Amino acid sequence: MSGSPTDFLKGVVGKRVIVRLTSGVDYRGILSCLDGYMNIALEQTEEHVNGIVTNRYGDAFIRGNNGGYRSRR
Amino acid sequence: MDPSSTGIQEPFDLIRLSLSERVFVKLRGDRELTGILHAYDGHMNLILSDAEETIMIVDPVDGNFEGQGTVKVAKRKMEMLFVRGDGVILVSPPSRT
Amino acid sequence: MLIFSVFKTLTDQRVTVELKNDLSISGVLKSVDQFLNIRLDSIKVLDETRHPHMMAVKNCFIRGSVVRYVQLPAEHVDTQLLEDATRREAANQAKR
Repeated sequence: MSGSPTDFLKGVVGKRVIVRLTSGVDYRGILSCLDGYMNIALEQTEEHVNGIVTNRYGDAFIRGNNGGYRSRR
Repeated sequence: MDPSSTGIQEPFDLIRLSLSERVFVKLRGDRELTGILHAYDGHMNLILSDAEETIMIVDPVDGNFEGQGTVKVAKRKMEMLFVRGDGVILVSPPSRT
Repeated sequence: MLIFSVFKTLTDQRVTVELKNDLSISGVLKSVDQFLNIRLDSIKVLDETRHPHMMAVKNCFIRGSVVRYVQLPAEHVDTQLLEDATRREAANQAKR
């Protein structure tokens, strides 16, 4: 089975992703890992608000309840 | 899941490796903190020392509709601070090289 | 459980609890439970002009979920002990 959400998420570890929070803020970076609560660790993260880069972080931990969805680029 | 080059296997490893280091925390309500991390738990409750809080206050009076208005910044320092995890959006450790 | 234990060691110390509605209450920590609900005695509201209804209140119970911060007395917090306990709890979590 490769269609389950968990398998999808395992498959995108190490890839560039966009994490959009419920607030509308985007975090773009390389997905290092994630856990069952959807806590997310990103590397080389850029914070985007309205398409403008507002912050850069080497590593970033994003708390699960804030995450909206993530997409592959 | 194969561990990345940094040896991080789950998101909380990133936080654990930041114990006794200065971290940046982004909170709900346009607040940010920096402080030295001494404790955390699975809810992302934190205990920080030498904490500095920055609150971004957008002043709607001067704001036009396209722009974001003038942003006022209020800062304050706290010696030892417990931060409730439900307000935490993001934690970033000092850049490791 | 770790943070709960930390608060328990701080009973009878003066702390300042800042709520999510910006009300700040300083008081003597009388008790805490696993939800981090807090009971304070001898309370003082920091901005009394903005919260006049709190003037007569001498003690209170604060539901844990409405807390934003708690300012702790630094001299009563052993940071080395905290870090060791945090690492130990993280290791236990990983085993499960």
